[in-house]
Amino acid sequence: MSKRLVVSVVALLAGLTISPSLSPILGAQTASPIAAAGQEAKPDKWNSIPPIKPAYAGKKSAPAPRRDLSGVWDAAEADGGRQPSGALEHVALTAPRGQGVEGGRPDETGIMRPLHYTPLGLEALKANKPSGPSVRQVPAALANDPLDQCDPIGFPRMELYELRTIELAQTANQVIYLNSFYGNWRIIWTDGRELPKDPEPRWNGYSVGKWVDDYTFVVETVGLNPRSWLDHAGRPHSEDLRVEERFHRVDHDNMELTVTIFDLKMYTEPWQGLNKFPLHLQPPDFDMPELICSPVDMAEYNRQVGNAVLPPSEKK
Amino acid sequence: MMKTNKCRTLCIVIVGLLAVSVPVFAHHGGASYDTSKTVTVKGTVTEYIWTNPHVLVKLDGKDDSGNTVHWVVEGQNPVSMMAISWTKNTFKPGDEVEIDAMPAKNGNPVAFLGTVSPTAPRKRIVINGKQFQ
Repeated sequence: MSKRLVVSVVALLAGLTISPSLSPILGAQTASPIAAAGQEAKPDKWNSIPPIKPAYAGKKSAPAPRRDLSGVWDAAEADGGRQPSGALEHVALTAPRGQGVEGGRPDETGIMRPLHYTPLGLEALKANKPSGPSVRQVPAALANDPLDQCDPIGFPRMELYELRTIELAQTANQVIYLNSFYGNWRIIWTDGRELPKDPEPRWNGYSVGKWVDDYTFVVETVGLNPRSWLDHAGRPHSEDLRVEERFHRVDHDNMELTVTIFDLKMYTEPWQGLNKFPLHLQPPDFDMPELICSPVDMAEYNRQVGNAVLPPSEKK
Repeated sequence: MMKTNKCRTLCIVIVGLLAVSVPVFAHHGGASYDTSKTVTVKGTVTEYIWTNPHVLVKLDGKDDSGNTVHWVVEGQNPVSMMAISWTKNTFKPGDEVEIDAMPAKNGNPVAFLGTVSPTAPRKRIVINGKQFQ
């Protein structure tokens, strides 16, 4: 009897000891089972996946709060933020987006909405050799995209190449900007300071922001490292680049982002990379997934795949 | 056959190493694949690499003569793959799989799933006899 009691107590204690370690696993399985064949993954509180655009369609939103951008914002069109052929407003294709890679020329002549380069800008453009699907696409082995070495994506390319989700947080004197693609952060000062006059170059620049009305926040950024490209089509920029971002909160759930490029060394006039690009507010528990470029993983990828798919013309 | 493949791979790597002044590959480019064709890659998973820039599924299949062919199927980055229900556990060594993908233009046993997104049509994938996508 006493033996039985001991066994029971031991079993009970064992159960209590195990249960704390088991329950999270069981709980996780209940909340987030691994996707069974043919089924969608169940959403849970980690690695959140934004809904696709139709989920937003027809949904009424509350009015925008005054002077508040905080939250996680996703590129509202499922693929709209991904700009493999160059900045969305000046896609380097000869036909509607997604087509017309063929027939391009080194100066981008013939694309739908060409940019106006200075002679220096055109020279810099030609020196940048993109592998993405644009009219200047070169065989992969000849590309010189800084991202292929996991060099920083820089600003504004983080908005003009793969704009996925960003998180904005406001403090008394800053807007903190987190960009999920390649894990970038920026500080946008709102304390009234001036932009630096002759800054040391930064990949993400120096940013100041101010509210021009209760729903529109305008950010100016300078001091950008010219080693970064502006977009995936290899558009260049100089150290004189100034970028204006205009975040306009339309209502509670929706925001528009306009990005304007001012770089008269490279372009004869300012141009917009994004024009009222839609961003959609995600739930407060949205967990941005990690997407970080590891040079070691990139080298392994090149070894496993990159070299194996070189076109025959490259195999001399 | 195998010797030729080995030599070819080795030669390509050597060319890549010699071309030190240029990066050897630019991810996100699909130029090296024949987008008009679909190949069904069939075999046994040997390794599943869940890293950036792109997820890779390595598998051993057979050619028409019964020789083992080492295939690599390239997806997109893990975040994009999670959006279409892939996880780090989707494949494991020993799984018998069939994957429809775009073949490499140069004929090497490498294939690419191409663009993936929740709204794009998905390539057919069968894992251990069960339709995954």
